[in-house]
Amino acid sequence: MSWDNELLERAHKIIELYPQKRSALGPLLYLAQEKDGFISDDSIVEISNLVDITEVQVKSVSSFYSMYKEEQTGTYLLSVCKSISCEINDSRSVINSVKEFTGLENYETDQDKLFTFEEVECIGACGGAPAVQVNYETVEGLTPEKTIEMCEWLKNDKPEIIVADQLQNKFGGTKSFDWAIEDNTGSAYTVPGFQNIGTAKEKDN
Amino acid sequence: MSDQININVNGSEIRTDSDQLIIEACEDSGIHIPRFCWHKRMDPVGMCRMCLVEIETPRGKALVPSCTTKVSEDLVVDTESEVVKKAQEGVLEFLLINHPLDCPVCDKAGECPLQDQTMAYGPGESRFVEDKRHFEKPIPISEIILLDRERCILCARCTRFSDEISGDPLIEFIQRGNKTQVNTFPDEPFRSYFSGNTVQICPVGALTSTSYRFKARPWDLKKVSSTSNCSSMGCSVELNVSQNKMLRILGEDNEFTNQGWLSDKGRYNFEYLHSEKRILKPVLNNDSTNEISINESMELISNEISVDDNSNISFIVGHNSTNEEYYALNNFVENLNKVNNDQNMNVYLSDDYLYEGFFQNTDSLGKVQDLDSVDTIILWAQDIKDNLPTLYLRIRQAVKNGKKLVIFGHTNTAMKELADSYFGQEILSKNLEFNVEISKIPNFNELINDKNVLAIIGKSSPIQNTNPISNLINYLDKNSNLKILNCFSKGNTFGALQNIDLVKGLNEFINEFDSSKNNIVFTIGSNPVNSSIYSNQIKDKLINANFVVSLDLFKNETTELADIILPTTSFGEKEGTFTNLEMRTLKQNKILPTPGSVLNEWEYWSMMLNKIDIENNYESEFELNLQLCEEYLDKDNVPSFDNLNKPSNLDGVLNSKSINIEIENVEPGTLELLFVNRLYGDSSTQINSPSISMLGAERFIEMNNHTFIKHNLSTYTVNLVQGDSTLQVKIKINNHLPNELIIAPLNRRGFRDIDTTKPYELIEVKNLEELSVN
Repeated sequence: MSWDNELLERAHKIIELYPQKRSALGPLLYLAQEKDGFISDDSIVEISNLVDITEVQVKSVSSFYSMYKEEQTGTYLLSVCKSISCEINDSRSVINSVKEFTGLENYETDQDKLFTFEEVECIGACGGAPAVQVNYETVEGLTPEKTIEMCEWLKNDKPEIIVADQLQNKFGGTKSFDWAIEDNTGSAYTVPGFQNIGTAKEKDN
Repeated sequence: MSDQININVNGSEIRTDSDQLIIEACEDSGIHIPRFCWHKRMDPVGMCRMCLVEIETPRGKALVPSCTTKVSEDLVVDTESEVVKKAQEGVLEFLLINHPLDCPVCDKAGECPLQDQTMAYGPGESRFVEDKRHFEKPIPISEIILLDRERCILCARCTRFSDEISGDPLIEFIQRGNKTQVNTFPDEPFRSYFSGNTVQICPVGALTSTSYRFKARPWDLKKVSSTSNCSSMGCSVELNVSQNKMLRILGEDNEFTNQGWLSDKGRYNFEYLHSEKRILKPVLNNDSTNEISINESMELISNEISVDDNSNISFIVGHNSTNEEYYALNNFVENLNKVNNDQNMNVYLSDDYLYEGFFQNTDSLGKVQDLDSVDTIILWAQDIKDNLPTLYLRIRQAVKNGKKLVIFGHTNTAMKELADSYFGQEILSKNLEFNVEISKIPNFNELINDKNVLAIIGKSSPIQNTNPISNLINYLDKNSNLKILNCFSKGNTFGALQNIDLVKGLNEFINEFDSSKNNIVFTIGSNPVNSSIYSNQIKDKLINANFVVSLDLFKNETTELADIILPTTSFGEKEGTFTNLEMRTLKQNKILPTPGSVLNEWEYWSMMLNKIDIENNYESEFELNLQLCEEYLDKDNVPSFDNLNKPSNLDGVLNSKSINIEIENVEPGTLELLFVNRLYGDSSTQINSPSISMLGAERFIEMNNHTFIKHNLSTYTVNLVQGDSTLQVKIKINNHLPNELIIAPLNRRGFRDIDTTKPYELIEVKNLEELSVN
């Protein structure tokens, strides 16, 4: 049993949300990723027991979606959009600045396990292009300079919780529209912050 | 039957069922549409796009996959238009982009749909100049299956089979896009009883089997249709032979039995045919150096038979003979009886699960196909998945189509998830007797009252009081429209029952053995000293017997005790008929020459009769077949060779004979240990087939968690101790079992020394040294 009781309890609560056990697969994979930073084989075995499908069926899903990581990522996952709106608004120079600062190529993680860099397809922030996600928290309207500033801040301050609004205030430019998330929570892991599955964290904690 | 409608294909009118797919309707009318992913026994997915056809829609002509589009009234379909051809060329060009084209070293080449369709519908040349995708070639995904991911065209036939049909999805697509591949989970191999089917349905050479790999080219194979001996389901198979060696068995689609599928045992259990260990000459006193001629052996046996009038002659028969051989044996017994009334002769069938069954009323006998038409299926028998694997697939399919399944425990726990009701320890005691009145079983009456019910009924345990089974059948008979499928699982059991006047069980052999008489025992293709719960008692009797003759393929625990071993022919080396569990008689064909001086069983019976100057009236299987056909109840459609060879009868002929089984009901005392047969075991045919010999090696017992705790166990490897015998076993937890009942495989090495009625102990294996002693 690689999952502790607390994690199992959270898993059971998630499973209860759905009419079929296997429907909980997606959120459970995020729990696995929260635990290890990636989807480990041990976690796959655990999940397959929890939702009554075979291990390889879990693996089939987890390997299909690129937000489920198959390898250990760094503390901060930098996902830079390369799709068309960002491309038009010069995401190339944002990408280059991240590459330059971190010294990483696409899908690479640095030796200190601090940063993982990836170029991704549209993250739904076209109105504020170019956009970047840090641990799936979005910041819009970046410039190459602001991007480097942001990376430096991450490297020096090592914030425990990443919150989209804070990033936006510190480093962002044009915002596409007010996201209007009332309870403004952030992400503490390389997992999107969802309140209903408990991956979201309050910013002041 | 659904409504018939008209559609127009390539300018001609076709009449078809309204619920068919375009590809099915065309297939039925002889118009072939190329396809890779569509398989008529599986749900369509539309993965490969090879079956694109043009249809007319209100918005003009459109290309649609014919495997996912249903026919509709006056639909106009074009399967050969320029647009369709261009689409087919395009699909094939894409499929070939990453296909390695290593046809010269591929087992599939010559019978490969990708090769054939590229020839027939392909573009002829490739525009792809980039590097192809590469994967490690081939990786083993189980002990018997290899996977070459480069060759895979992602049709999902194998993954769909394992999910939809066999229900053990251990292979799946991994990754996405250009990296998509079929694979297993690390350390979780594709250990399915049905994995071989994926090799057969793979439209390229991506999945191959260890036993056939690099053995032959398909165009060199000689092929014949036959019927598998693996279980009493009588699966239709195609035997593939090259240079007088059986190389492969494929499933044939028989609507009434296996529908194209086979278990891996039925598919891969053939290498023994060419084993060096086969007995090829009669052997005297189990001494290999003491080979004698057939004539000498017949002389010796006939002297024994005629020497003493006050003798008991017993025949212990197995389940691998043909109907003709059983008939010849019966004829032998009859003739001896005619000559001398003082001799006492009995035929015993070597199957611990045999009991009197329900044969009295032939009208109430069920058929496998009833699974698709009844409302409720009642299952109370030994493990279906292990003993009648293709019937398991049929039941699975029926449940998927909405039939209610009711299972009575404590076997068939593997099917619990399929069942609407599973009656375990609340309803049935450890001794398989009802704890509650049948009429008061909760949620049972609404599933059977005035419903069409098929009861698949047999003994669950070798020792079991069969009265509760009769009570259940009586109750069902009163309250529902009942059909019964008698569940004896082994090979041609029903052929033996139909063609031998009176059949008894092994317990009767022990009880009727009278050591004061001159005892002559024939064992025929059976190994009761290894395969029965009565093994030790049978061994004593055989040692006690005055003369023992074994007819067999291999030396085994029983032939060791024989005075003379007569080598016999096996499956594929003899022609005959086979009767399956629904009394369907199917043809078994000969494609291999008989090795050495091996004879058919009936030839021995015939020669022995000649030796003791009794005239016999047959000289071939053909004549035997004609004679045995005279006794069938329905005279108009008898399973004669001529009739079975008719194209309309290739799926077999249903016909009945009167059946007489005489078996005493045995009270079990208290069952502590329930013996079951697993698919893979230690039969001499399996251990002499190298590809699958190791699959029956693991020794394990099953128990529920309560029992595990009750025995104060903490590790999963223990010694099972009973008297002087100690057996190291692994424990599997199975919480569907009742408290304090342990399940053990009878057909695994070592277990035959365990007595189910005596107490035993489970002792933990503490240190590693003990673990290594085995």
